Amino acid sequence: MRLAPALLAAMLCATAAPAAGPPPSFQQIEESLTCQCGCGLTVHSCNHLHCPSALPLRQEIREQMALGLDTEQVLAHFEGKYGEKILSSPTARGFNLAAWTVPFLILAVGGGLVVLTLRRWRRAGERPGVRGPAAVPTASELAAHERTLERELERFDG
Amino acid sequence: MIELGPLAIHLAFVLSIYAVVIALLGAWLGRRDFVASAEHAVLAVWGAVLVAVAALLHALVIHDFRIEYVAGYSSSTLPLYYTVAALWGGQKGSLLWWLLILTSFSAVVVLQNRQKNRDLMPYVMAVLMSVAVFFAALLVFITPPFELLAVPAKEGRDLNPLLQNYWMTIHPPSLYLGFVGMSVPFAFAIAALASGKLGDVWIRTTRRWTLFAWFFLSLGNLFGALWAYEVLGWGGYWAWDPVENAAFMPWLTGTAFLHSVMIQEKKNMLKVWNMVLVILTFSLTIFGTFLTRSGVISSVHSFTQSGLGPFFLAFLGVILAVSIALLVWRLPMLRSENELDSLLSRESAFLFNNLILVGIAFAVFWGTVFPVISEWVRGVKITVGPPFFNKVNAPLGMVLLFLMGVGPIIAWRRATWQHLKRAFLWPVLAGVVGGAGCFAAGARSYWGVVAFSLIFFVLGTIVTEFVRGVRARQAMVGESAPVALAHLIGKNRRRYGGYIIHLGVVMIFVAITGTALFRVEKQVTLNPSEQFDVGGYTLRYNGLEERDTPHVAYLMANVSVFDGSRQVDTLKPEKRFYKKPEQPTTEVAIRSTLGADLYLVLGSYDAETKMATILAYLNPLIGFLYWGGIVLAVGTFVVMWPTPATAREPAYAASPAREESAPS
Repeated sequence: MRLAPALLAAMLCATAAPAAGPPPSFQQIEESLTCQCGCGLTVHSCNHLHCPSALPLRQEIREQMALGLDTEQVLAHFEGKYGEKILSSPTARGFNLAAWTVPFLILAVGGGLVVLTLRRWRRAGERPGVRGPAAVPTASELAAHERTLERELERFDG
Repeated sequence: MIELGPLAIHLAFVLSIYAVVIALLGAWLGRRDFVASAEHAVLAVWGAVLVAVAALLHALVIHDFRIEYVAGYSSSTLPLYYTVAALWGGQKGSLLWWLLILTSFSAVVVLQNRQKNRDLMPYVMAVLMSVAVFFAALLVFITPPFELLAVPAKEGRDLNPLLQNYWMTIHPPSLYLGFVGMSVPFAFAIAALASGKLGDVWIRTTRRWTLFAWFFLSLGNLFGALWAYEVLGWGGYWAWDPVENAAFMPWLTGTAFLHSVMIQEKKNMLKVWNMVLVILTFSLTIFGTFLTRSGVISSVHSFTQSGLGPFFLAFLGVILAVSIALLVWRLPMLRSENELDSLLSRESAFLFNNLILVGIAFAVFWGTVFPVISEWVRGVKITVGPPFFNKVNAPLGMVLLFLMGVGPIIAWRRATWQHLKRAFLWPVLAGVVGGAGCFAAGARSYWGVVAFSLIFFVLGTIVTEFVRGVRARQAMVGESAPVALAHLIGKNRRRYGGYIIHLGVVMIFVAITGTALFRVEKQVTLNPSEQFDVGGYTLRYNGLEERDTPHVAYLMANVSVFDGSRQVDTLKPEKRFYKKPEQPTTEVAIRSTLGADLYLVLGSYDAETKMATILAYLNPLIGFLYWGGIVLAVGTFVVMWPTPATAREPAYAASPAREESAPS
């Protein structure tokens, strides 16, 4: 179980960290912002005709990129101006960290419980007298067994 | 006719209350006549609801615009099949539709179990009819579907244009069959808890029901994805919208349940966990309906929002309270003799499979409700959109894929090194070669290479299982390969049907990976006869075309598609302008091949200069979504195909080992 925090950290790095080494990409910023027209999609995905939200936001992204800002700075501009709800994912700070971490924490706890359960079962399996044969039938063994059984039954019936 | 509908609903309401009371009294007092009366009441409720649905359908078809629902969701120009589909196009109709499916299933359950499960049936009926009482009460007191307008309308407001699509005729019914179908295993589980008959009878009795519900839930989700793909026009098919999530969560827990019941059937283990899963799955169907109806979280399905949220939340509270109380009460009786030889065994793989499936369900739940939690805790509105769900679920999906390869072929109890080597050598090789091939083909995405390695690994496990089985039959009986294959599947339907379902799921993973990582998109604004290239195609925009009908006006961009210098297609992405209500919609044009879909959307345009903006997407491998769905359906049919009565008994009695290796 000592592995769990390290595993969690690795998972978080793999999932929550922003893409490495970003020259600001228009599409990436579009995908990091939510269209406010009610479509529930990102600014990149909204394709509403004359969308009152996505079109001005795209223009604003271009303007911000033209100022030479990097991705983080552009997103900070939008967050400052429109509030956090404009971002398409929770930020990785403060209470929002819970959004990213809780599913993996629950999984880690669940995984720990599964391992403990399996160990308990194994101990039960090792008790003398309760151990059954370690049946490891493969497909071919099973099919062969079935054939033999059927043949014998046929012979028996005949 | 107009009085018949409300009368029938009131009758269904009263009779379903009677059924609950008399069934419970029958169980508690041991009165068989009471139980028989409850059975009759269930059938009568079904009849009454059928009459109500027929009355509403009749009102829709004859355009009886005195009725608020008919005027609100149809019109005199709406084509007949959408008029019929309007039955579930609005809230009142869809609740009635839900009640019809629930009472129909209840009636089938009663007829199926006339001679068996006598201890369980009173409670089963009480649970199913309690759910019916809830829905009937909504229809009687809160949202009566036959409510009349103060002044009859001359014309209807029509069905929401987004719903005027052929998927509309099959997506909601499939989803409802899946949602409501989960009530049956839930009812049997509660009946088992209430009656104390906690053996595996309830599991064996409901296995087909669970599969049936799971099958329609799978199709409902897939149809919804295809509907979004064809109607919403943003090039994708899954946006992690709260309502999509609402349908996905019970699918995940239902899938976990289908796998963990195998452990209970074969090993008599996981009894409590199976109860938890079935309660969770049913609760999630109600929670999903709450999400859809309450509008507590904004969604593209806002057309279904209403003030019903609190009622569903209260109902959910009652379900959870009663279920948990019963479960805790019976905990001492649910203890099982669990034993295992090694952590490296199929039991472990199944448990981890359950963990990941439930973990994904939790991640989806958490992301869906997090905006509400954030508002409670911080008072700040935030958005949890598709990028969050993709990032969190992608690694979990990969683990699930891996377990899908391991689960079906690792040995029960204890896998030895010899066994592992024999079972996994070819699949692992297939995975390595597949991943390397993907890399050699130019894929430089980390996730892409990992996903395709795992996809080929799972494919490897499925193929080697079939090859081994066929070879064994050939060796023993001397059959030709196709005959051996047919017999192999026919004689072990659960096992090999399960593999076929896994194949379908792998194909769906192929589509998800292809579209998520390798999509090409381009947006261009063109004058007529100008052209542009996208993903190997050259597209020439020829100009705008118009067409008008009384119901809708069309504006289409005519686009010629060239592969090299050869014209291979003409695509016409359109804007539609519905006349009642006046609302424009986007209709995409798609050229499908197995390798990729060319997907065109007409963006803005200038009617005078004919200049148009066209969005072109190349969605690689998305065809696997359709075909994966079909393979999944075939696999489910193989699994569910009834065993002839004569063959059934010996199958259980003589050869318990034959089902040992059902896939996870």
